[in-house]
Amino acid sequence: MRLGKVKINHYINYLVIGVMTLVLGIMSASGAGFDSSMLFLLEKIAISIILAVSLSLVVGFLGELSLGHAGFMCIGAYIGGKASALLVPSMGNGLVPLLIALVVGCAAAAVCGAIVGIPALRLRGDYLAIVTLAFGEIVKSLFLNTSEKTFGGTLGLDTPRYDKDYLFIIAFVLVLVTLAIVQNYIRSKHGRAVTAIRDNEIAARATGINVTKYKLLTFILSASLAGMAGVLYSYSNYNIQSLKFGYNYSIEILVMVVLGGMGNINGSIIAAVLITWLNTWLPTKLTGDLAVLQNLLYALVLIVIVIYNNAPKLKAFRDTYNFGALVKKFKKHDPAHINDDKAKWDVVPTKISMDEVLSVDFTPQNLGPDKKGGDK
Amino acid sequence: MEVIVSTLINGLSLGGIYAMIALGYTMVYGIAKMLNFAHGDIIMVGGYTIFVAMAANNPLLAVLAAIIVCVVLGVTIEKVAYRPLRGASPLAVLITAIGVSYLLQSLAQIVFGSAPKMVTVYEFGSVEFLGTTMQVSSLVTLAVTVVVMTVLTLFVKCTRLGRAMIAVSEDRDAAQLMGINVNGIITITFAIGSSLAALAGLFYLLKAPNVSFTMGAMPGIKAFTAAVIGGIGSIPGAMLGGILLGVVESISYKITAIAPYTDAIEFSILILILLVKPTGFLGKKRREKV
Amino acid sequence: MKRFLALALAVLMVAAMFAGCSGKKNYAANNTEYVIGVSGPLTGGAAIYGKAVQNAAQMAVDELNAAGGLNGIKFKLVAMDDKHDKTQVPTNYASLLEGGMQLSLGTVTTDPGKEFKNLAKEDNVFFLTPSASGDEIPEFDNGYQMCFADGNQGKVAAEFVSKNYAGQTIGLFYKSDDSYSKGIYDQFKANLSKDVKTVETSFSDANTTDFGTQVSTLKDCEFIFMPIYYQPATLFMTQAKSVLKADAVYYGCDGFDGIDSQEGFDINSIPQKVTMLSHFNSKATDGAAKTFIDKYVAKYGKDTLNQFGASAYDCIYALYGAMKKALDAGKEIPVTISADELCEILKEQFKGGYTYENGVTGEKITWDEKGYVDKSAIQYVIKEANQEAN
Repeated sequence: MRLGKVKINHYINYLVIGVMTLVLGIMSASGAGFDSSMLFLLEKIAISIILAVSLSLVVGFLGELSLGHAGFMCIGAYIGGKASALLVPSMGNGLVPLLIALVVGCAAAAVCGAIVGIPALRLRGDYLAIVTLAFGEIVKSLFLNTSEKTFGGTLGLDTPRYDKDYLFIIAFVLVLVTLAIVQNYIRSKHGRAVTAIRDNEIAARATGINVTKYKLLTFILSASLAGMAGVLYSYSNYNIQSLKFGYNYSIEILVMVVLGGMGNINGSIIAAVLITWLNTWLPTKLTGDLAVLQNLLYALVLIVIVIYNNAPKLKAFRDTYNFGALVKKFKKHDPAHINDDKAKWDVVPTKISMDEVLSVDFTPQNLGPDKKGGDK
Repeated sequence: MEVIVSTLINGLSLGGIYAMIALGYTMVYGIAKMLNFAHGDIIMVGGYTIFVAMAANNPLLAVLAAIIVCVVLGVTIEKVAYRPLRGASPLAVLITAIGVSYLLQSLAQIVFGSAPKMVTVYEFGSVEFLGTTMQVSSLVTLAVTVVVMTVLTLFVKCTRLGRAMIAVSEDRDAAQLMGINVNGIITITFAIGSSLAALAGLFYLLKAPNVSFTMGAMPGIKAFTAAVIGGIGSIPGAMLGGILLGVVESISYKITAIAPYTDAIEFSILILILLVKPTGFLGKKRREKV
Repeated sequence: MKRFLALALAVLMVAAMFAGCSGKKNYAANNTEYVIGVSGPLTGGAAIYGKAVQNAAQMAVDELNAAGGLNGIKFKLVAMDDKHDKTQVPTNYASLLEGGMQLSLGTVTTDPGKEFKNLAKEDNVFFLTPSASGDEIPEFDNGYQMCFADGNQGKVAAEFVSKNYAGQTIGLFYKSDDSYSKGIYDQFKANLSKDVKTVETSFSDANTTDFGTQVSTLKDCEFIFMPIYYQPATLFMTQAKSVLKADAVYYGCDGFDGIDSQEGFDINSIPQKVTMLSHFNSKATDGAAKTFIDKYVAKYGKDTLNQFGASAYDCIYALYGAMKKALDAGKEIPVTISADELCEILKEQFKGGYTYENGVTGEKITWDEKGYVDKSAIQYVIKEANQEAN
């Protein structure tokens, strides 16, 4: 769809979130005032969106599985939270310390992203997944065992909470910033290089793409955005504890990305909103022993969706019965309409075939342009 | 001296459990080429089966029941959740496995509640050894692990079925062309892996008589770590990695200053080894085909 | 487009800075009963504590209502599940407050309590927690504790040990990633006399079930201080029963409560002596405690009978007593009073030397200006050493 020269599809998410934030902001400013439960929910939703979108960068676009995303968030939350805890007493709980905390938190997470990114250059697939998982657990464990004066140890770090009447607006502005960074990155030539690496690393290398650089860059970007979410998290809580940022939380973020459709940013956003809302709403409905049903539901939905989307045998079925086909049925074909945006880089499905990934020579120097002469 | 001996023995028996789980991981990974994240939770199912079956107060019967339940469960999971994804991206398979893991955990929580249950399977008692008291169950664990490893190695090397497994793991398409039933082999692999998980569940209960719905999660992850350290796909590698990890954990808990960092230390070892030797100690190097 | 985007961001930032302030609402305006809110683990691993608090508090509320409430106005208890996870607390707190909560029992456990105390401070909601024992829970003037603070427990235990085990070596076993356990441990170490030597060992991660290394570290100790919850404690004891000396003594804090009623664990199979420091004896044979136990067991059974419930029962009566005293002093407490106003009234009472007498967990209970409780602790022997068990 085109609106003048601007492709509206590319900006629809900015528009929706921006308008929603403005409306909510004005409502809040006009004195209507939201209940705390609403404000808490909005903050959580914003944090989830940032996390899901940033993880989508690695999982959906780079095609690598990261199970330690919460670890980067943890670093952002602790480092940024510590910065704000130090600054707020002297500077007041305003925007300036918040911005400084954001910068510090993002930078710290970015550094760790680089540290994890380096093994990521040598490992692929399941190995990388396990390394990121290990990283997340290490971070969790390190912060948990700090002394009380530095990062609070088991007691958790006491962080200043930003005034809840405004924090959700800042949070959604940060969502917009995240979207701007991620979508611009993906729609640039860098983004196309990243998806090329995902689809066939060796072919990408052969065409002269600097695989090392792009993998590292994507990892760092994703990590620093997760760090930003962490800082925001520290600002929305009085006390943060690293136990929260374990493997389970990483999986929860992954579920959002998967449910949204890997490599589909808008899908991730919708899934993040939905899951976060369900997480707060379901426990009020499913009380007592029923509370477990929530996890059961998530697990089932995850399995069914992944199988449906990926099973090779269901491909024909998917092609006939999908949302797009359904819409097309109801839409008149317009011969004047030229589909000029065939290459939608942000919705390319992951299609790495089994043996490409599973038979990996782990020594990078051997990964150079094909020496055996393509037998495939 | 006493301290060293008791720490080592503890480490070895813990390592035996890790090795047992890692063997299952390594078999499945080597042949089905997938990381079965739900493997740890099969241990948990084995634990609960023993818990239920112990109502009859017959340990042997309970273990047998656990093995049967786990094998049936493992094969079913493979059929329902993993087989449709054969040929899909490994990412999809891995995420499904995570989903299965969560599914098993929440099912267990619904059926048995979230509070841990205590069950005493069998009391082996303890013996004096080099001036330290040691649990007989630790020795049993270690002995059984060694036996299982040997039998598995011989099985894979010397039987037709075992060689078929190697063939599938080397090149699935070629194996199929040679008339090997690839799906059948993978099913058998899952059955073996699951029965090992049931045994691991038993040894866990011998060590700590406690069943809970999360009991498989951490051991599962650590055992995978062990399998990777030893070189995934390699049976002696799994044994080596498991024992190494168990001993490291035991030593680390012994030293007060670093005890709280035990998990961090174990995972750091994993990252370091993968950086230095990405295929683990005994893993085979694979070439990438284009 | 980019310019538009930048402009929109700038507008939003400004809006964020100048957004108006929403005033404090009185959510209790439509109440027909006094609403008491509590957040605790009703599911998950710590559910036994949350259930105990919910049951006992409900029992106290029912009794008060049956007796006509406070000047004819009844009480209502609303309990929400936080699964012992502090991230659930903001939502729980907000829905409690928006549901008309006027006063609170805070949280059942310490970790969620750290979030709760700050939120309650923002809206000025009075809370008296039955069991969140963290030292920093009563940090603000609207928070009070019915249980002993962790630091206090550590101190009392250290005094006991310093007196009885001077010159000996004792064992210490704690959970390094749990603030309850670590809090008591830190205070215990700080207050322990120099001539008691210690052998320490710890564990982390809630899923740890194998204590082989820890048992072998402590195997020569005759006295083991274990400031941990009863579940890992039972595991430790089971694994240590044949390794440790049969006349060794386990000494726990209030986390040991419930150890003798855990399913599948027979405390008599442990040859060693098991003792704990507590304000409540669940085997009491006389006094208010006995009355409480009889009523509780008749209503909810023995499974969740523990000091958390006893403490919650006392909390409700203590709050009721304070409100009654304020009424007698001429204060008005309408049923639609806002949490904020009620908080001021209760603060005045609790600060002004309010004494709650004949409680289940203490004869004469008072609070100091920091919000810590002042009552006597008892060292309660759960099980004597029995040689024949081994």
